[in-house]
Amino acid sequence: MCGLSGKTAVITGTNRGIGKEVLRVFAENGANVFACARNQNAQFEFELSTISEENNVNIFPIYFDLSDPQQIKTAVQKIRKTALTVDVLVNVAGIVEESTSFGMTSIEKMKKVFDINFFSLTQLTQYISRIMISQNHGSIVNISSIAAIDGTPAQYEYAASKAAVIGGTKKLARELADHNIRVNAVAPGIIDTDMGGKIDPVLKDEIIAKVIMKRMGTPREVANACAFLSSDLASYITGQVIRVDGGI
Amino acid sequence: MTNLEKYNDAFITTFEITEDQLAGLKYQDIQAWDSVGHMSLIAALEDAFDIMFDTDDIIDFSSYEKGKEILSKEEYGVKF
Repeated sequence: MCGLSGKTAVITGTNRGIGKEVLRVFAENGANVFACARNQNAQFEFELSTISEENNVNIFPIYFDLSDPQQIKTAVQKIRKTALTVDVLVNVAGIVEESTSFGMTSIEKMKKVFDINFFSLTQLTQYISRIMISQNHGSIVNISSIAAIDGTPAQYEYAASKAAVIGGTKKLARELADHNIRVNAVAPGIIDTDMGGKIDPVLKDEIIAKVIMKRMGTPREVANACAFLSSDLASYITGQVIRVDGGI
Repeated sequence: MTNLEKYNDAFITTFEITEDQLAGLKYQDIQAWDSVGHMSLIAALEDAFDIMFDTDDIIDFSSYEKGKEILSKEEYGVKF
């Protein structure tokens, strides 16, 4: 895919699932990557160096806990000090809690999910967008969910936090357009990841039965949409939510 | 370039104004210093001084003089 070669992307949640695949697709398309993850891990670093060598791109691991505002700030300071441009931000990292009914979901649990899925994403975006403003260009892609649009699958607090991501995406697209920064969201459906495994199995089967393509999606299929929206191929697309759900 | 010169340059370049307009300049006094221009100024200052503003300080940054006061805080360490 043209339009990513030579760009530098900050990608969160790169140690597993969709984030890991976004990292791989970006590298395969010639992008350098700041690979954000919570914990330093030898296996993870080995994988990064392999992907880097195979694709002749630079991959810089950045470790921070998204639940700690100071760690987010310190991580962005490290990115700034490399003096590289930041052309793309892909906010993938998120959490989902075990399935409970609405009436049995505590406010504390809801706040925990919102903290990671919305507020931490927002804080990181505030910092990175300022780098993009000084460059007068950039592209931001946020991972939402079809749960935010359809109300299913997943839990109340997850769906609500991902709906907040969509609202933020649309507002930010308007605000950052003056700085030549595009902001879009990808809303995956049922995807074959660890997080997908937390969905109630009965509910999962019901949803797959409703999917036109009658299967779960792969992390790579979501990553491809992220790559497209991040690239120059999507240069006139902003404020949009692209469903990657196999047709529901 | 001194810190004051860097500070002034960020305003002059971002808002396309002259040095004699800086003293007493307040947020929204001129068309260029609107909310969009404000973020451009913040980004320019972050680049110039290799710092990252806290959101509360971005909100408080209401004038040319107030900006100097904020940058002089310990966490940013800019001396004028």
